[in-house]
Amino acid sequence: MDLKTSRKKLLEFIFSGNRKEAIELLDGWSALYQYRSAITDVLEPVLGDIGELWASEKISLAAGYLAGKIAEDTLLKAHQREEILPETKGPVVIGNVEDDYHSLGRKLVGIFLRTAGWKIIDLGNDVPASDFVDSAVDNGARIVGVSAMMFTTAQNIIKIRQEIDTRGFSGRIRLAVGGAVFKIRPELVAEVGGEGTAVNAVETPGLMEQLWRSVDAHDLP
Amino acid sequence: MPMTSLERVLAALSGKPHGRPPFTMTLSLYGAKLTGCPLPEYYRNPEKYARGQEAVVELCDPDILFGPFALSLEAEAFGSEIKFLPLNPPNVRKPVIGSPKEFMAIEPPDINLHPGLLYLRESIGLLSRKYKGQRPICGVLTAPVDLPAIIMGLDMWIETLLFHEQTAVDILNRTSRHFSGLANALFSDGADFIALATVFTNPAILYPQLINTIILPALERSFQEVKGPLVFHHGGNPMVPFLKDYLNLPNVAAFAVDHRDSLTAARGILGPKRLLLGNLNGPTLSRLRLEKVLDKVDRILADRQDDPCFIFATSAADVPWDTPRGVITAIAEKIRSAEGAA
Repeated sequence: MDLKTSRKKLLEFIFSGNRKEAIELLDGWSALYQYRSAITDVLEPVLGDIGELWASEKISLAAGYLAGKIAEDTLLKAHQREEILPETKGPVVIGNVEDDYHSLGRKLVGIFLRTAGWKIIDLGNDVPASDFVDSAVDNGARIVGVSAMMFTTAQNIIKIRQEIDTRGFSGRIRLAVGGAVFKIRPELVAEVGGEGTAVNAVETPGLMEQLWRSVDAHDLP
Repeated sequence: MPMTSLERVLAALSGKPHGRPPFTMTLSLYGAKLTGCPLPEYYRNPEKYARGQEAVVELCDPDILFGPFALSLEAEAFGSEIKFLPLNPPNVRKPVIGSPKEFMAIEPPDINLHPGLLYLRESIGLLSRKYKGQRPICGVLTAPVDLPAIIMGLDMWIETLLFHEQTAVDILNRTSRHFSGLANALFSDGADFIALATVFTNPAILYPQLINTIILPALERSFQEVKGPLVFHHGGNPMVPFLKDYLNLPNVAAFAVDHRDSLTAARGILGPKRLLLGNLNGPTLSRLRLEKVLDKVDRILADRQDDPCFIFATSAADVPWDTPRGVITAIAEKIRSAEGAA
């Protein structure tokens, strides 16, 4: 199967919820060209298509989840075969804001960023504001990505904004925000002090590129 | 003699003239603000909840009152830890189980013994005794197809539905029995109908084939056992494109559509006699200018002016705590002054 057909088939499998066939396709490609190629040549372009379909609400959250599981599975196999994909970008600190336990979005963001070559420091759920900034400083991250599903917990992102500002990292650590509530209420991004968001997890690598470039390297913490 | 709220709602249910459309707003939370009641007490003490709803009646005199809109209390009954928040209903802290199969090891809660479920029931009982024959009382429950997501987390529930079909069916059998049992208890306690927001029925969330083969059959089985009318709520996503798929679910008397849905399109699918509720976006009321809110109210009323089977309602979650009282009273006044369907 050629590259174009493989991508088309993979998209169809994800679109129809067929995990087994999708993984078999990627395994088959890897047997010929290694997992590195399966990820960069087959999976990544398909994830781009998935991102667009998801943004235009043509596929479900479950399909986005399935895409994430397939990417995770393929990354894992690459690591098991010691085909280490270089983490050429980042690091980025991610986590769910204080009081938020809805981890699905954050996990998908982590998977899609790793697939795109980003180094991720995942702090998990219910993360205090100071921990985000401490981790960014300790690891030299230019971006913290914060997830909140509901309006109530999204309000806690304001504490991270304040933490960044009062410690003198404004413009040096960028604050990316995401979660279902920001889709419903886009104006909330600015209200909580966010500097960018993505319409879904698949689109996050593009957002991170943009935010990363916006920080002057001389100003890093 | 002016109609009572109950008469007005019954008229809408049967498509008879009612002067002006009945209206309601999701002011479950707002009652705590009106009575100055701390939320950990409000969502634990049925008398304080009922007092809050009496204050809602004094504020805006809605035609329908709600029982507690606190879905996390059902998850708590299944063992989840909840957290009380200062200005919002309690939320589930984190899933209590580590794998889908562990769900089946959880002892289903006894609806006659669990304090959180008794709170829901007693709140309905108090409201019903106070307003019986005057004002319908609506209980609010978690859809049996969504309860697993609250208990085990969204990702684990999606994982179960996608890759562990039999486990998903087993879990749904259990939550369906819980739903019908609790719904019937609320009816016995005095609820006139039960509203349930449904998330996993929507193709924005789940593959259509899974909705058709697992989700809707589970709802059908569960709804069949319910001894009263249900209000099928959109669950946070536009519902009209898929409304036809839900029309034959048993005991569904009404559909509450999302603020992004077209009421005209919904009516076209429902036919002339099915009760339709909607569709002012309740959670935005705290930040919109009053004239913009009233403009939206006007548009909804104009859209439905010849519709006898329409109830004006806020959609989605609670009206926020920081919504000015004047906004709520102005909406109520605007609807009261409207010409109803003949």
